[in-house]
Amino acid sequence: MSAPFYKFAAFGDEASLVIAFVIGIGFGFFLERSGFGSARKLTSQFYLDDLAVFKVMFTAIVTAMLGVFYLSWLGIMDLALVDLVTTNLWPQIVGGLVLGFGFVIGGYCPGTSLVAAVTGRIDGMVFVLGVLAGIFAFGEAFPLLKGFYESGDFGRLTLPQAFHLPYGLVVFLVVVMAVGGFMGAEWVERRFAPRAEGR
Amino acid sequence: MARPHWTLNRALAAVAMLLGVVAIAGNPHRGSTVRLDTQELATIVSSEVDHVTVQELADWIIQGRTEYRLIDLRSEDEYAAYHIPFAENVPVARLPGYGLGRNEKIVLYSEGGIHSAQAWLLLRAQRYPGAYILFGGLEAWRDEVLYPVVPAAATPQETAAFERAAQVARFFGGGPRVAAGADSGARISLPVMPAAPGAGIAPPRAPAAGGPARPGAKQRRKEGC
Repeated sequence: MSAPFYKFAAFGDEASLVIAFVIGIGFGFFLERSGFGSARKLTSQFYLDDLAVFKVMFTAIVTAMLGVFYLSWLGIMDLALVDLVTTNLWPQIVGGLVLGFGFVIGGYCPGTSLVAAVTGRIDGMVFVLGVLAGIFAFGEAFPLLKGFYESGDFGRLTLPQAFHLPYGLVVFLVVVMAVGGFMGAEWVERRFAPRAEGR
Repeated sequence: MARPHWTLNRALAAVAMLLGVVAIAGNPHRGSTVRLDTQELATIVSSEVDHVTVQELADWIIQGRTEYRLIDLRSEDEYAAYHIPFAENVPVARLPGYGLGRNEKIVLYSEGGIHSAQAWLLLRAQRYPGAYILFGGLEAWRDEVLYPVVPAAATPQETAAFERAAQVARFFGGGPRVAAGADSGARISLPVMPAAPGAGIAPPRAPAAGGPARPGAKQRRKEGC
C-alpha cells in the first residue's frame, strides 16, 4: 500500500478527522513555539525587522515539497492521488488581498489567531470572533458572490503545467527561490533590526 | 576572509539545495507500465465494494452531492436519447485519454453491466482506486428507479415502503407501475430528454444512511496558515 492513506487506502473520513486533529495540535504547537502566538512577532515582518514568519512558512513549503517529490519518486507515495484545489485566479487574488489586509490590521492570520486565543491573548480571541463573523457573513452572502467565487477557473493547475517545465526543475527553482529568500531575509533583518530597537 | 560559519540553518539550507539539484533528474509521476495485483482485484470484487446501487446513486443526485463523477459509457446517440442526470458521455474507447482524476470517485454505467465492468478493470489497471460500477447499469436504473413495480396485492407495509420509491421515480421523470404491467413483457420507454430532475416536484426525503445532504455545494477544501 502506498501513500496517501486517506480516502482510498488505509482509512476513511472518520479516521481522517482523528488524524487531522492530531496533526492540527502539532501544527498549533509549532506555531506557538515559533512565537507566532504574538501579534507583535507576526506584524514585525511588515516592518522588516523580523522575517520569522516568512522563513518558517517558506521552510514548511520547501520541506513539504521535497518530501512529496522524493516519496513519489521512490514510489512510496502516489502524487496523482493527492487532492488539489482548483485555481480560481480572480477570487483568489481578492481573497489573498483581504487576508493580507486582515493580517496587517489584526496582527494574525486564521491559524495564528487560534494559537493566540488558546494561549489567553484577548486580541487573539477577538480576532477569532471576527473570523467566525466573516465566515458567517460570507456564507449568508454566498448566493450573491457565487458568480465571482467560481470565476477565473483554471482547473487543478500546477506550476509544472502552467510553465511547461519538468517537475524536478520546478522543485529546484523553488528551493533556489527559498534559499535566496532566506539569505535576503537575513540581510533585510540586519538592515532594519537597529530601527526596531527604538520602537 | 573568514570561513563561513556552519549553523544548523545553513546546513539545512545546503541539504535543501542538494535535494533540489538532484530533483532536476527526477520525475514524481510513475510511468505508463501497469502492474496488476490480481489478488487485490479479486478481493475487491468478491467483497462487493466495487459497485454502487441505483438507489444509492438516485439518493446522491437528490441530495445534490457532487463529490463523484458519473460516466455514461454508451454511444453518443444513446446518451443523447437518455442519460442519468449529470452523467458525462465517455464511450469506452475514449476512456483511457479522458480527463478523469485519479483522486476522484468515478461511477461507471452502461446499458447492462458488461461495458462498465470492462471499463472498471481498465481504470483499476491504471490505478484509479475510486472507480465504481453502477450495479445493473441503465437497465436497473430504469426498472428500479424510474419505473419501480408495486406488487399487485401489496400489504400496507409494502405500500408504505413503495411510496418513497414512487416519489423518487417521479423526481426523475418516471413513475411507478403495478406488477401486472411489469410482467407483460412490454418494453418500457425512457423519459424524454432533457428531463430536468425534480421539475416541479419536491425532492423526496433522503434516507439518513445516505450521509448528510449538501445540495448544490461545490466540493472544496479550505486551506490557510
